[in-house]
Amino acid sequence: MTSHLGLMAIFAVFVSVVFAALMRETPGEQVRFGLRLLGGFIGAGLLIGWLLYPLPL
Amino acid sequence: MRVTTADRAQPASATYLICAAAWALPGAGHLWLGRTQKGLTFLIALTTMFAFGLWLEGRLFPFAVAQPLVLLAAFADIGIGIPYFLAKLFDAGRGDVVKITYEYGNTFIIVAGLLNMLVVLDVFDIAQGRK
Repeated sequence: MTSHLGLMAIFAVFVSVVFAALMRETPGEQVRFGLRLLGGFIGAGLLIGWLLYPLPL
Repeated sequence: MRVTTADRAQPASATYLICAAAWALPGAGHLWLGRTQKGLTFLIALTTMFAFGLWLEGRLFPFAVAQPLVLLAAFADIGIGIPYFLAKLFDAGRGDVVKITYEYGNTFIIVAGLLNMLVVLDVFDIAQGRK
């Protein structure tokens, strides 16, 4: 397990589950909010990764 | 809607006891207050996240006052409660800095502890009747 993307996705799953349970009350709301968070985390990670790609780091 | 113990504000002494339980075992505070689904979610997610960090060769940082960032990481690590002490007891979390997953493991362990601190704050609000 050394894929950066894979580990980022697993990390995003854990964080999304906890935040969804913290911030929403009913299971249905938690699932919807958790999926939106997960998509946001992974999408933002990919976007920021590509934005940083041209930089000579 | 089902009435739970959480629908009533708890006395101050009980609130702090519940918060201590919530810190010691992720989700225990919510379980105590009758929020079973949330409690089980936190218990499973946070302990799994912490264990995953250990499996990735993350390190449980020492309380080194001379190194402020290490000290902060140590406080974040201990935020997970009993799993931290169990890991220490079984000599896990020594960390292997040459492993490619070392920093990933640290991130999982630290964030699991920090998220549990947020869970404790949520328990405090519920016990005070604010949620």
